[in-house]
Amino acid sequence: MIFNQLKKMALPNAARKLLLGVKSSFSLFQTTANAEYRYLSSVSNPKGLLSLEKEEENKVAGHKNVVPLECRFVYPEFLPDPRLDHRNSLREKLERMDMMNRRNHIDIPEFYVGSVLAVSSSNPHAPEKVTRFVGICIQRGGCGLRAFFIIRNVVDHQGVEMFYEMYSPVIQKIEVLRLEKRLDNELLYLRDALPEYSTFPLDMEPEYLPEGSAIPVNPIKVKLKPRPWLERWERQELKGVQDLGLPKRFYERAAAVAKPWEKYDLMAEYRESIPAEEQEEIFAEVYSQLHQLEVTRKIMKRKRTFVKPKKMG
Amino acid sequence: MNQADVSKLMSRLKIKYSPVKRKLKNSEGPVGRAKKIQKTLTALIKHERIELNFNRADETRGYVERLISDAIRYGDCHRATMELADYWLLEKQLVHKLFKVLVPRFENCPVSYTRMYRAPRPCPGNHFERAVLELRGNPYPSLLPDTISNRNLIHNVLLDEAHKEYRAQKYAEIARKLEAADENVAKSSGDSDGPESSGLETPEEIKASTEAQVASEVQPSGEKVARPSKDVQ
Repeated sequence: MIFNQLKKMALPNAARKLLLGVKSSFSLFQTTANAEYRYLSSVSNPKGLLSLEKEEENKVAGHKNVVPLECRFVYPEFLPDPRLDHRNSLREKLERMDMMNRRNHIDIPEFYVGSVLAVSSSNPHAPEKVTRFVGICIQRGGCGLRAFFIIRNVVDHQGVEMFYEMYSPVIQKIEVLRLEKRLDNELLYLRDALPEYSTFPLDMEPEYLPEGSAIPVNPIKVKLKPRPWLERWERQELKGVQDLGLPKRFYERAAAVAKPWEKYDLMAEYRESIPAEEQEEIFAEVYSQLHQLEVTRKIMKRKRTFVKPKKMG
Repeated sequence: MNQADVSKLMSRLKIKYSPVKRKLKNSEGPVGRAKKIQKTLTALIKHERIELNFNRADETRGYVERLISDAIRYGDCHRATMELADYWLLEKQLVHKLFKVLVPRFENCPVSYTRMYRAPRPCPGNHFERAVLELRGNPYPSLLPDTISNRNLIHNVLLDEAHKEYRAQKYAEIARKLEAADENVAKSSGDSDGPESSGLETPEEIKASTEAQVASEVQPSGEKVARPSKDVQ
């Protein structure tokens, strides 16, 4: 580190005093778009983790925009790809600007893997130029403008999956028909499950949750079809499937090839995620606008569901 | 193009780390790598300063920083953090040391919790680079040479001379200003009905202001300042 090298050098008294003073404010090491500094973490003042109650207080009390870190679950695509090779702060800022611009034009609602969505996208070959597809979200990924989600449904006894890019201009409307979470982060096992677990009526009505309630977690346990499967589900820790009912040798082999040390690999965990301080910085940029859009969406929802009372007689 | 895993919040690392993990060549593969890092990490927490090969030191440094930052963020009542400490620290009294000694030591530390130096290799020997890995605030004397106390080192000799020269210059300037002031006073006393020389200062004022200036700018040279280690509070 440059600081250590400077310290090793024989420095004059005054400069050494200055260096000791500067130690705590490492402005030299701010991450920039410059590739040289890419691998250097910048120093930040470590603040304690704000407890949930404190965050609520801050939201309600002050006009200051305090960003709740729960944003990371609602808007995970705003966080960049954690791979150091793919980081570029300027490109990320521009992408966030473009994402906010798109969100100003179309309402991209909050949803999770396990929610039932209806997506209307433009299709030049359809009679009304619009295709509407209803299904359960089985996977969500990507970062920035390339954020995607996959929707699954069974139509005419045929399993169908549609891949949508959230910020594509082709998408005209995303409606959440049922907002809920499941026990797993990805529901790819629905491909090997009985078709009834992936079937949703195409004319499904939206189900509303009481305002301010937490997102419900559906504890359903899905029954899989008999083997062969697309993946070795017994080797993944799936919580949303019933007992697989496989012979003992499958579980023995799964235990033999398991890598239990990976659970404790602190650096691998760090390289696959974004640190909390950086998450706060990123959401601080966009939170006020996102919050504004949320508020507008709630108002519109209330307006839509209001039914004017009819005169009797 | 992967979405960042947000299930766990972690503090930012304050050290340089490589984007790719080292395999730390060993016969047991990834299991052996984890064991090596466990041993090095335990040794560092136990002895607070260890000398070892560079690659192993650099690899373990990240793990040490992450473990300490997690301990600071979540504390010892958090089950997952306790399990991590239990896994990485092979000697269980060090789990106590981590949460009860190191966490209060590094709680408000704005810089990295560890320091790594390159160490010399014995000359006829293998070509592996050596490193010294230490925790900040360790009880041993500093590895870096003390370049302040010994005024006979060349840079200190030159600095002391520079200080003396600067003082001499400043005093010469003061002397010149005093002379000029004296002249002005003599002139103004000569034309007694002239307007008050408000722009020109009296010799006493000049002396006081310049002395104050010199005292603040010029460092006292040759002073042995007994400075306590400011590394960690």
